[in-house]
Amino acid sequence: MNAPLDPKANSLLSKLGPLGALLRQWEGPLTRELLLNPAGFGLGKVPDRLKPDATTKMVCGYCSTGCSLNIHLKDGQAVGLTPATDYPVNLGMACPKGWEALAVLDAPDRATTPLLRNAAGEMESISWDVALKTFCERFKGIQDQHGKDSIAWIGTGQIPTEELALLGAVGKFGMGMVHGDGNTRQCMATAVTAYKQSFGFDAPPFTYADFEESDAIVLVGSNLCIAHPIMWERVLRNKKSPEIVVIDPRKTETACAATLHLQIKPKSDLALFYGVAHMLIARGWIDEEFIRAHTSDFDGFVAHVETFTPNAVCETTGLSREQFDRFVNIVHERKAVSFWWTMGVNQSYEGVRVAQSLINLALMTRNIGRPGTGANSITGQCNAMGSRLFSNTTNLLGGRDFTKEKDRQDVAKILDIPVERIPDRSSWAYNEIMDGIDSGRIKGLWVIATNTAHSWINQNSVAELRKKLDFLVVQDMYASTETALMADLMLPAAAWGEKEGTFINSERRIGVTKKVSKAPGQALTDFNIVKLISHYWGCGEMFKRWESPEATFQIMKDLSKGQPCDITGIQDYKMIDDSGGVQWPCSVPELAKDQQRRLFADGQFFTPTKRAKFIYEAPRSMPESPSAEYPFLLLTGRGTASQWHTQTRTKKSKILQKLYPAHVYIEINPIDAERLSISANTDVTIASARGSITAKAVVTALIQPGQVFLPMHYEMVNQLTHPSFDTYSKQPNYKCCAVQISPA
Amino acid sequence: MEHTTPESDGGTATITPPPQPAIGAPLLWKMDSTPSAQPTGSERSPQQWLDIFLNDQQDLTAVDRFSKAHDHGVPDQSKYYSELIPLSKPLPGQQYAFEVDLDSCTGCKACVAGCHNLNGLDDDEAWREVGLLVSPTPPKNLKSQLPMLQMITTACHHCAHPACLDGCPVMAYDKDPVTGIVKHLDDQCIGCQYCILKCPYDVPKYSFKRGIVRKCDMCSSRLAVSEAPACVQACPNTAIRIKVVDLEDVKKRAAEKSFVAGAPSPDYTLPTTVYKTKRPELLELVSADQHVLKPDHGHTPLVAMLTIMQLAIGLLFASAALAVILPGSLVDSLRPFAALAALGTIGLGLGVAQLHLGRPQFAFRAFLGLRTSWLSREIIGFGLFAKCAAAFAATFWLDKLVPFVPQVGIVVPYLPLAQKILEPLTLLSGLAATFASVMVYVDTRRPMWTMRFTAPKFFGTALILGVASAPIMLLAASLITQTPLVGPTRLLCLGAVVALALCGAAKLAYDLSLLRHLRDSDMTPQRKSSLLLTQPLLPFFAARVILSVTGTLLLPLALAIQIVALPTLPIFVPLGLAAASFGAAFLGELLERHLFFRASVPLKMPGGSPV
Repeated sequence: MNAPLDPKANSLLSKLGPLGALLRQWEGPLTRELLLNPAGFGLGKVPDRLKPDATTKMVCGYCSTGCSLNIHLKDGQAVGLTPATDYPVNLGMACPKGWEALAVLDAPDRATTPLLRNAAGEMESISWDVALKTFCERFKGIQDQHGKDSIAWIGTGQIPTEELALLGAVGKFGMGMVHGDGNTRQCMATAVTAYKQSFGFDAPPFTYADFEESDAIVLVGSNLCIAHPIMWERVLRNKKSPEIVVIDPRKTETACAATLHLQIKPKSDLALFYGVAHMLIARGWIDEEFIRAHTSDFDGFVAHVETFTPNAVCETTGLSREQFDRFVNIVHERKAVSFWWTMGVNQSYEGVRVAQSLINLALMTRNIGRPGTGANSITGQCNAMGSRLFSNTTNLLGGRDFTKEKDRQDVAKILDIPVERIPDRSSWAYNEIMDGIDSGRIKGLWVIATNTAHSWINQNSVAELRKKLDFLVVQDMYASTETALMADLMLPAAAWGEKEGTFINSERRIGVTKKVSKAPGQALTDFNIVKLISHYWGCGEMFKRWESPEATFQIMKDLSKGQPCDITGIQDYKMIDDSGGVQWPCSVPELAKDQQRRLFADGQFFTPTKRAKFIYEAPRSMPESPSAEYPFLLLTGRGTASQWHTQTRTKKSKILQKLYPAHVYIEINPIDAERLSISANTDVTIASARGSITAKAVVTALIQPGQVFLPMHYEMVNQLTHPSFDTYSKQPNYKCCAVQISPA
Repeated sequence: MEHTTPESDGGTATITPPPQPAIGAPLLWKMDSTPSAQPTGSERSPQQWLDIFLNDQQDLTAVDRFSKAHDHGVPDQSKYYSELIPLSKPLPGQQYAFEVDLDSCTGCKACVAGCHNLNGLDDDEAWREVGLLVSPTPPKNLKSQLPMLQMITTACHHCAHPACLDGCPVMAYDKDPVTGIVKHLDDQCIGCQYCILKCPYDVPKYSFKRGIVRKCDMCSSRLAVSEAPACVQACPNTAIRIKVVDLEDVKKRAAEKSFVAGAPSPDYTLPTTVYKTKRPELLELVSADQHVLKPDHGHTPLVAMLTIMQLAIGLLFASAALAVILPGSLVDSLRPFAALAALGTIGLGLGVAQLHLGRPQFAFRAFLGLRTSWLSREIIGFGLFAKCAAAFAATFWLDKLVPFVPQVGIVVPYLPLAQKILEPLTLLSGLAATFASVMVYVDTRRPMWTMRFTAPKFFGTALILGVASAPIMLLAASLITQTPLVGPTRLLCLGAVVALALCGAAKLAYDLSLLRHLRDSDMTPQRKSSLLLTQPLLPFFAARVILSVTGTLLLPLALAIQIVALPTLPIFVPLGLAAASFGAAFLGELLERHLFFRASVPLKMPGGSPV
């Protein structure tokens, strides 16, 4: 395009002058549309029309990896983005969701005004004033009639910590609610409980550099390649030729990239890890000194795993003795072994114990507190970790306990509020709130930035529960989510990119997110919506210090003081921005200079005894095993890197749409498909005791016979799942239930 | 920063310690006793807060403080990609190429999104795609540790022999003599989309709003300043890089058919992309989307153009054949009308052909590609055909002009001679143009558009429609001249009807014989085409069979019965039957051509979605 008539390309035409140029036109308006020019600001070339006049960095709002995106601004408005080059998390890269993060903000179905269901049952546009008065009137009315604790909220891991903290504080201290929980229950509760019980605090110990420093990386129930592609980037940067062990009943993308894939029978993971512990103990491949000095109840654990002999474990897991031995040898021989788990562990009826079985392995081999080690939970949502510390739901603000008088006193003092405003009991968990609706204890529900009607296990129950609610408020960026369509009152929220705040990623790194785009219509930040509610409710005075997200961050600092998650050393957002994010704890500013910090190097844990606990329990059978009537085991999980959860956002990008199948599909083994006369790409009916759906068959040996797999992103999938929960974390057991399959 | 400091510059650095509002921003926090409380003094009501928040939401000054002003000249990102691009330009006999390390690609598809964003493409436009290879099911002859899956990231292969470039009628493609990058000249493109048919890797993409195609140019302007292409920059796993390749190696790999599983054979265009792997078992994999039945683009204007042009040729041949078989007054009387009808048909055909172009105003460039492009040749061929046909028609009608333009009289004596010369020329140019039409599709190397498959269709259509028009011509002539259809004319008419039935049956049988491939055990293109016809395209396919059977078998049978057994019926009965037969046959051929496109099973790289 720089050479309007390349003589070499066409000598004859070049001699024709203007006629030649018309006959062979090398440049013009269409060519100029794609013309690239240097953007400045340390960026490379960008299309002319997207040339920025400023840039700013902010963390992405999808997953917990917590990548930083460099936002290209023109007149203050975002016009494009590139992954931040120097951020210690993503090192210049982003997944497709990150690249398309701005594209989903312009969707036509963004909520632009509050909507109220009218007498005819239709959603009608109303003013904010009417909306907020209605909100207060209806919820106060329910509280007057059924008690303060008869309204509850379901929050999220998708909004900044400041917004979560304000929501939790206004909800409980201002409005008098007792029960609030978040969709983080669906993804992280198991890890939280496991860490709290074992380490004394919800403290994922790792930093992403551990991916690069491990000699062996053990991934359990984690399809890292597509669920966390940027963490996989870090795995590939590991120069130590690590063993990559993937433990997953499916041959996933990650399993294909592994050096050892242990394709165990579903839910035999707990037995496997107890079996590994058995072998390590039997061969003396443990760090007795560390165990003696820094852990408790190891003797009980030794007794517990005694029966998990290799033969028994191979029988339970379906592994060969050779595979099992190789895994044990890897754990023993490799100097730095890191154990990582995701939803395959968390979303289980016994997930806490499975997570702790990995923690136990890390403890007994001293694969903790050293570079490249750890029992590491990879989180799901961008701010699940913020929610864990500051959502004021299960935990009192700052990782405290509602039931402890001293904790309540501390918080009351820090916030300058009467201590009696703080409930002396923990919230119900998500499933308990749903049960509360069923039993009539909860009559009003406020759902913020989550899509219960899509994601809740045994989804068909949600429509029934909806009928039992006197008033349902949904606060979301889209008016079109399955849950928003059920609401009585819909409040339009500003999205990521249209507001400020901080997220905390999987490795405890706090990052800033900023306002780089105008929210459509009258949509407001969740922060300001909650502030307005406090004013309309009549409790605005109590939250006067919570003036802005950044003022709230200062409150969070106060709340963290002396806690394991102490962040008092972080001055402000600018410091976070300049430091490339700051990991907690950070009690003094100097700590922020080290960008890769891990916990427990000193072997001191957060329990009262400073010792980590070995916690164990006998494996149990599945809550719903395959039967004669429902002979297949249904697994669910992520479909592609381009899909996010219930797809409220990712289905708005036309580019992301190209990167995943438009139709729901079910993976089925060729042996099963042949037996049932199911051919590829034909419709299949999948039925559980709770519902029946249709999907296209993908006939593939990546899934084992007797099992089928459905990606969770399609709205019908949770009609099938079985409402069972982890005993301790109350996390839903999404990944195993019994179904029958037939050609549709 | 919630407006407590109206004159502040916003931003996160304006954190005012909460109890101390900034100067000039008096703010009193009072318990709002009732939501509707009126403001007194500086106290704010909930409604006032609402107004403040709504205003604040539209204010975008907050990030100013964070914005970055410095620029080192070299992009910051270059530290990640500097080793992924060549240090020097290719030498003679070399060119740039993509190299993909399959063992590092895990299918995150960031390359697609990165290309889309860094190149500022349309909302739904992607120049890079990620396909999926899977183990074949049922597994057979497997040596290795299957099952497995493998992602294939793919963009333009910047072929050594680019089919797009060869096929383009207007030279809108340029292969850079130094870098070898195959670049599309957007402003040169007329939007004929033939490159889309020509490219065996489904690379060029049509932009409806612009009326042109666009495609990957390996970010040539980035490479020119040692900046990596967008996809190279975006891959978290450094699986994509730019390499200098030797053209001899490209040829050698193509000759060995060594490219990547699931992709069309490289010996056609000599793609330069190198897919690297340490796992030979990848060769055993198959495209994950092999079972997906997605009809290809219908190209309605091309369907109409081809059918109409072939009708015109058939008409001219029928008219000529009748004159040869049965010289005499009845036939002579219809020939001027046949020539005129053919000319009108050609005009219609050329007209609808324009509808296919995104930018028909630049169609005059179509001769530029004559050297390599069959489309260019087809366009020129039909232009020539139209001119011959016009001259031929003129030989019948010029003498009618003499009363109005006496000067024309000079040429009148030469008209019979001109007719004798022009008729074979017209027929020949028509045949040649139709041959070019056939070659337009054969040259794409699509397995369903081979010579064996295409030529019988195109020439068959001309034959069927020509033969179907013969009885109409004879009956119409009979009507116009008030001559009863008797003797040899009647025999000829009967003969034409029988010929129509034979041709129709033969063509239908030939087309239907494809369906035997439904029993193929592998997903051959023939089987896939048959599945397309009998599943998603079944309504069209059924209609095509019914119309062809009606037009070339049932109605001709009725016409034959009438001619043989009921010759005394008024002439409009056989004429009506002949016209209906022609109409049904024509619609049948239109649908046949529609299906020719839609069930054509394009060549492409492995697709990403198994459903």
